Amino acid sequence: MFGRKSTTVIRALDQVDFEIQDGELFGLLGPNGAGKTTTVKILCTLLEPTSGHAFVKGYDVIKDGGHVRKIVNMVAGGERMLYYRLTGRENLKYFADLYDVPKKEVTTRVNNLLELMGLSDRADDEVEKYSKGMRQRLQVCRGLINDPEVLFLDEPTLGLDVNIAKDLRNFIREKVVREQGKTVLLTTHYMYEAEEMCDRVGFLSKGKLVAVGKPEELKRELPSGFSIELLVTRATEETIGSLRQLEPVKKVIETDYEGEAEGEKIDRLIVNVDSDKAVPQVLSHMANKHCRVVSFNLRGPTLEDLFMFYTGEK
Amino acid sequence: MFTRVVFAEAVKSLKVYFFSTRTLFWALALPLGNGLYLYFLYLPFATKSVDLQFGATTYTIDLVGFTIIGQLLYSFFTMMLLAGASFDAERWQGTLEVLLLSPASRVAILLGGALANAVNYVWMLVALVLSWVAFIHVGIFVTDPLALCGSLLLSYSAMMALGMCLETVDVYSRRGSIFTAWLQEPVMFLSGQIFPLQSLPVFLLPLSYLLPLTFGLMAVRLTLLGGASIYDVRMPLATLASMTLIFFILASLLVNYAERRAKTKATLTQF
Repeated sequence: MFGRKSTTVIRALDQVDFEIQDGELFGLLGPNGAGKTTTVKILCTLLEPTSGHAFVKGYDVIKDGGHVRKIVNMVAGGERMLYYRLTGRENLKYFADLYDVPKKEVTTRVNNLLELMGLSDRADDEVEKYSKGMRQRLQVCRGLINDPEVLFLDEPTLGLDVNIAKDLRNFIREKVVREQGKTVLLTTHYMYEAEEMCDRVGFLSKGKLVAVGKPEELKRELPSGFSIELLVTRATEETIGSLRQLEPVKKVIETDYEGEAEGEKIDRLIVNVDSDKAVPQVLSHMANKHCRVVSFNLRGPTLEDLFMFYTGEK
Repeated sequence: MFTRVVFAEAVKSLKVYFFSTRTLFWALALPLGNGLYLYFLYLPFATKSVDLQFGATTYTIDLVGFTIIGQLLYSFFTMMLLAGASFDAERWQGTLEVLLLSPASRVAILLGGALANAVNYVWMLVALVLSWVAFIHVGIFVTDPLALCGSLLLSYSAMMALGMCLETVDVYSRRGSIFTAWLQEPVMFLSGQIFPLQSLPVFLLPLSYLLPLTFGLMAVRLTLLGGASIYDVRMPLATLASMTLIFFILASLLVNYAERRAKTKATLTQF
């Protein structure tokens, strides 16, 4: 009863190896538990790897941790990382002191950041009175307070309204990366976000980096250049199994879908095919199996397809 | 940069952790209540003074003063022990990582937090002394103000440095504050806070002499109530100065060790 608990060792990251260029916006994608946050935390010195090396701007995150901390910063979505009893301005001034921002610049920098993120009029309110979106924007201000060369964004738009998230994405891409030339590592599991923002992406699955490259290049590596997105009812395992046997079909992925048609549950299938000419064959197969096709959409591959292809996630 | 971080951390800690009505109330109410409890505990014995043996000399000092000083310094000591709770608070409120993400000196952060505790204590000390002096006669007997100031200052610094040492546990573990809470009762018993040290069994004295509170109580009681000079209390003062240095160096080493260990074991985000 009082004995030592047995511990299970989980390998959070395994042989992960990648490089990010200066001024690049790199997306690290993967399902929950894939190792994205662990990677970010190692790179900003909040975790130490049990083996291997990691470098930021040529500095070893273990041996030169002190220097790395001066040139990086991190913003994490859904986490607190702010003092709620302090005002927005007090928070930023406090962090400016921790990062030894030149005293003459503190006021200007704090005001500029608050202005950029649209928080000037609430700067002297306590953070506990802020909305979630305002807190997240203040977090971004905090992440930029030391004018970092490398910025780590760990799910920065998690839980934000659509409009606020979109503004934040624009700000990061246009201001932080394009205008200020900062290097950004973004982790997200919103594929549209990565598609919209990233120059290159890497896919992590169960701690392993399974693919790295530009989205367009990676899409070309998919077994098929086309995907048919089918919304169907009455699709049984047997139907899907036989669909996989069709000559032009390379892969069938079942994904979650919330919806009903005439009282029947709708399933969403992504069918990778080698040619757009396969559409009639797929549709007639489904009809022969007494499935009802609610809608279909032929499209080129997306990051979501890549995500599912590389991570095996639905 | 070091002093800038110390100041920033102290101001932040005061604003975030202490400037709330509840905190201020309890900071005053608890030592006041405990002090009254001790005073009335002694009253049935019709005692007005206590004999304090120090070396070959026996000082007869005022009982009320004895209890007040005991309670005040013990409260300060508890506060410094609980200074560890400030890192614990960073942990549960989700700011520990962002604090350690910065390049700021960890020792400066520790010192800033400890200073905020000390500053918070000053007003409490003033309020308590004034209220006790106003309502109950205290037999103050000071012959060497420098000795008194030195005793207070070195007592605070030694206890603050020990508090910093203990605070490092919270960097590594969420159980740090429990560990520091465990120390409170033994310290109360061993330091001579509620009874003169000569009443303690001899075999326990070595443990007493490990505590800065023991020497702080000695020095402050003798200089404030017993009329001792700086020469008379040179031994406790030298010990307190040494303890300050040792605990400060130890805290500097421990905080880096605790941080490395927390980063290896991934305990920074444990709430």
